[in-house]
Amino acid sequence: MRLKHLPAKTRERRATVLAGLILLQALCALFFIGDVIEDFRVDGHLDNPHLLLETIAAIALIAGVIFLMIELRGLLSRMSDMQTGLKVAHGHLVEVIQGFFEDWNLTKAERDVAIMILKGLDNETIAQIRNTASGTVRAQATRIYAKSATDGRAQFISLFVEELLAGEISSENGADPEPTNQQSAESGTKKTSNLITDETA
Amino acid sequence: MVAITQRTSGRASARQVAVWDPLVRLIHWSLALTILLNGAFVDEESKAHEWIGYIALGLVGLRLVWALIGPKYARFSAFPPSPRRAVRHIKAMLAGDRSVHLSHNPLGALMAYNIWASVIAIGVTGYMMTTLTFFGVDWVEEVHEAIFNWLLLSIALHVAGIAFDTWRSGVNLFRAMVCGRKNVPEERNVI
Repeated sequence: MRLKHLPAKTRERRATVLAGLILLQALCALFFIGDVIEDFRVDGHLDNPHLLLETIAAIALIAGVIFLMIELRGLLSRMSDMQTGLKVAHGHLVEVIQGFFEDWNLTKAERDVAIMILKGLDNETIAQIRNTASGTVRAQATRIYAKSATDGRAQFISLFVEELLAGEISSENGADPEPTNQQSAESGTKKTSNLITDETA
Repeated sequence: MVAITQRTSGRASARQVAVWDPLVRLIHWSLALTILLNGAFVDEESKAHEWIGYIALGLVGLRLVWALIGPKYARFSAFPPSPRRAVRHIKAMLAGDRSVHLSHNPLGALMAYNIWASVIAIGVTGYMMTTLTFFGVDWVEEVHEAIFNWLLLSIALHVAGIAFDTWRSGVNLFRAMVCGRKNVPEERNVI
């Protein structure tokens, strides 16, 4: 998580610096334009080399400002693309988890416990949060592993990791992210039903 | 399933939308600063007053260019100057609508255009006062001051509107102009 956040922060800082530069350079451009207009009013003709140079400088500055603005817009849109990408992945994972739980027919209490297991809490902590005995949680966890056809915590969690990795590959193949999500969600549920039938067979 | 969505949306990023990019925010607060300086602190006859005025003009000009080529929420198309939409917005508010606008809401959009136009008008009349043709001409100075008073009134309305919409929509608009993100409450409609 920390690794993911760092580049986003850097990009944000870069965008702010870029915006500040645009502002300063635009004001400089304004100064030169004003100076050119003022000089032209006093002098009256453009063949003066000093005035010509100033005009070129003003035009260059304006071009620079426009260029930086386009650059900033590109940076901002890349940042928001990244954000939507994360959101899609996030929403997708929630869907997948819900799909799994539905398939396994977990009860409401078991779903709660399962979520906390996925979040890395141990049985003692879960018992504390849910105000139950740790024995109850242990029993619930055992039922969850049985229903999901896994042999314990590690394998249970790895089911979801596997789903995430599979999602990554399928989204690389598909051009449109939306249908691929649904596809992999479907394949995920199919996979689990296979898993269950394999185990029971 | 409620359990999952509730827990995951507990993360701060769940419904945060980045609306105001750094350039929009910089221009906004710089413009506010120039108005404050020229209105309250700098001697009106001084050279500094003129310079600050030109800077304010430049800021508005830059914002207008950014509204043509900038990102989605900063563009004219996100907040068209339409009195009809403003009227519809007022009616919807009276009917109890609490939906959230990601860019300016239609009334706020009109206020933004009004403030920019006022600053431009003040800048232009201010510049005219420095020219030989209009130096010492009474009506120019009167217009300059009248529009400044109008600008003060507009800013008061602008701040009141921010306070009102923050209460109505539940989105802290002041914070949005500082850090750039609108924190949209879970159940709200977004436009």
